Amino acid sequence: MTTPLLSVENIGRSFGGFVALADISASFAPRQVTAIIGPNGAGKSTFFNVLSGVLPPSTGAIRFKGKDLTGLRQHKFVHLGIARSYQITNIFPELSVHENVRVAAQAFVARYDVFSNRTRYGALDEKANAALAAVGLHAKGHRTAKALAHGEQRALEIAIALVADPELLLLDEPTAGMGPEETKDMVALIERLAAERTILLVEHKMKMILGLSDRILVLHHGRLIADGTPQSIQTDKEVRRVYLGQNDGYA
Amino acid sequence: MPPSPASAAAPPLAAQTGVKATGFGAMLQRWRVPLSVLALCLLPWVLPSQALAVNVLVFGLFAVGYNLLFGYTGLLSFGHAAFFGGGAYLTGIAIAHFGLGWFPAMLVGVLGAGVLAAIMGALSIRTRGIYFSMVTLALSQLVYYVALQASAWTGGENGLRGFTVSTINLFGFTVDFLDPVKKYYVLMVFAALALWFVSRLLNSPFGAVIEAIRENETRARACGYDVERTKLIVFILSGLICGLAGALSALHLAIVPLDTLHYQTSGLVVMMTLLGGAGSFFGPFVGALVFLLIEDVASLWTSHWQLIVGLIFIAFVLFLPKGIWGTLISRRTQG
Amino acid sequence: MDLELILMQLFSGVALGAVLIMAALGLTIIFGMLGIVNFAHGALFMVGAYAGVWVAEQTGNFWWALLLAPLAVGAFGMLIERFLIRPLYKRSVDDPLLLTFGLGYVLVEAVRIVFGTDGVPFATPEALSGVVDLGIGYFPLYRLFVVGLVAVVLLALWVALEKTKFGLIVRAGAKDPLMMRVLGVDISALWLVVFGLGVALTALGGVLAAPMRNVTPEMGTLVLAEAFVVTVIGGMGSLLGAVIAGLVVGVAVSMTALFAPEMATIVMFALMALVLLFRPQGLFGQSVRA
Repeated sequence: MTTPLLSVENIGRSFGGFVALADISASFAPRQVTAIIGPNGAGKSTFFNVLSGVLPPSTGAIRFKGKDLTGLRQHKFVHLGIARSYQITNIFPELSVHENVRVAAQAFVARYDVFSNRTRYGALDEKANAALAAVGLHAKGHRTAKALAHGEQRALEIAIALVADPELLLLDEPTAGMGPEETKDMVALIERLAAERTILLVEHKMKMILGLSDRILVLHHGRLIADGTPQSIQTDKEVRRVYLGQNDGYA
Repeated sequence: MPPSPASAAAPPLAAQTGVKATGFGAMLQRWRVPLSVLALCLLPWVLPSQALAVNVLVFGLFAVGYNLLFGYTGLLSFGHAAFFGGGAYLTGIAIAHFGLGWFPAMLVGVLGAGVLAAIMGALSIRTRGIYFSMVTLALSQLVYYVALQASAWTGGENGLRGFTVSTINLFGFTVDFLDPVKKYYVLMVFAALALWFVSRLLNSPFGAVIEAIRENETRARACGYDVERTKLIVFILSGLICGLAGALSALHLAIVPLDTLHYQTSGLVVMMTLLGGAGSFFGPFVGALVFLLIEDVASLWTSHWQLIVGLIFIAFVLFLPKGIWGTLISRRTQG
Repeated sequence: MDLELILMQLFSGVALGAVLIMAALGLTIIFGMLGIVNFAHGALFMVGAYAGVWVAEQTGNFWWALLLAPLAVGAFGMLIERFLIRPLYKRSVDDPLLLTFGLGYVLVEAVRIVFGTDGVPFATPEALSGVVDLGIGYFPLYRLFVVGLVAVVLLALWVALEKTKFGLIVRAGAKDPLMMRVLGVDISALWLVVFGLGVALTALGGVLAAPMRNVTPEMGTLVLAEAFVVTVIGGMGSLLGAVIAGLVVGVAVSMTALFAPEMATIVMFALMALVLLFRPQGLFGQSVRA
């Protein structure tokens, strides 16, 4: 295995007395697609929140490119190269599609510039256009974000994450609420992105995960119960036991 | 990043920047500072009294500063009396107790309000959501009670007096500061500078950041912005402008009533901003103008004008939350 | 320094704490259950005091005032919820706050119109006037009565919220209104009742405070600030937090009054600033960022 891009060591997270995540260790090699699955309440969202700096872990450490990220605030994670999308579409609804991505790109150039004119940073427009083109939204830059179709909004959110040029992209249920057509587009998009980036995604759609991922982690009750290739996960005894009788994953 | 085959196919840049207003709206946007200044220049001649004009100037500027935080960043502070009153008191104290000239005294007032805002902002921005309003109110009451007790410096309950500025020296010219018209235009210059600064800030990259935070704080954070620090900066800038409004008020009235620091004064600016239209450039001045006109007219026939103002305010929250100006411009851009 | 004096002042602090708890209770309940900051809280406290004065004048009996004024003002609170606040639930959390601020403005002015701007006198009821010997000194009987009554009210609230089905539903409704709707609970009726209850408690605080504070149209402004301080120190909508915070603030103010009387009011707000510095979520607030 090559040097890992990201590694987590014994991380845990509890809320009051409730343990949402316990003792998880894993490393992630560059340019791999890893899916994180598990029944509802397994701790997937908490895991993502810890990985993206939304929540500090209660125990353990996160290392990214050899640097210890534990305890850093979320915006630092982004600047170091970890960007994410959310399970429930999370965009700037009243801004135009172009502005959505442009303001995300601006975070790396001008965060506290009070005196110059916005238009001075012309390069941002090109970056924004490039990110929109990458997700197929380049023709809709002038639209108000909330006027986009659901699938387009999900794509916009990925463009927002993408414009940060992250080495690690965390996608929280990128196809949530999508029909078969939109899902297919999204899978194609993720495959394209995977050529250049490391991707972690949380998903429920099993068929999609099996085709897309190089590796699967299975969480259950906040613990990592299986970690391996899609083939090995399919035959894993523990996973079968956890999922037995639960058909929401196999839809 | 993949190469961009789209740049040729994409619509021209101007169409992409999301400015929805066309024609008249766009013109208003571009000329907003000169237009505001022009309106302020005319104010003493179109309003029934000079006193009302100065009040609109001072409270309009107060509301402009407040709007930066409430309207543009989405933080509902109920403690801005501390900065308005703080600016007024410190200006007055600098003249009355330290014999400073009017201009250095103003600087003291404005910067003092900024320091106060930095402290109050640092404490209140740490709290979540709706807590913010309660905390800012309570902290500003702390300032109020300190001013009440430190009567040797502030005049306590009687307010601060004894710092009348009768003439000022402007670039070698002596201006009679007791002449209401001349005084108005001197004060107006400072208000105009502040307006220019706010307009500039809204056009700046930083303006784009605060817009993003108001729209969606979580997403802004996930884009790599330090939301707390950005809010604190806006809080301080807002405090500086409100401090300037307070300093102007002190120079104008030559007294600072203790109530200037009371949270009821914060309430006034909240009402004015909302009546005019929070988050719009002209809204705060429109709100201050309408509020003070209502007060002026209604108090002619009843001493209970606050009842009328309160009812109008309730009606606005229920039915016109965008305020007068905000509703006007949204009608235009939709139609 | 005289030990008895300090003990006495400590006891005064507890009594003041009881008043502060009563001043904050209605605000905390509405805040905790509905997530609304009621800026008309101070004004409703004042309205409660005036209602108490009026009932006591009409009936010549303080006990009727203590019973009827909170009921009447509570019913008025339900009207407020039904017609002014309910349309705002789907909007930003700032909107009910702004609306109730305007409402407070209107209420203060309305009371000025009806009762005049000067305020009205309200004597301590005869049965409760005089002082009691506590062994360490004499203490006004009325304040002792207030402490007792606040304790009873708190106990009743605790039982109602923790031990009854109504309480269970209210607490569940505060956590997950959508789920309650799915389960067929009429959430809007629930919120109507909770808001009315909060306002009734606020009015009760006003009646109790009437003999101790000047009854004026402006008496609510300080109450609002006090209630905020207690709520912020105690923590987000926590009943226990409000009780502890009320007592802590009461004792702190009372002790400061002994050594540096001019600092007494300031210390309350300074205490809040201190808590914010070290525990921004309040003493009993949850620190989790969801």
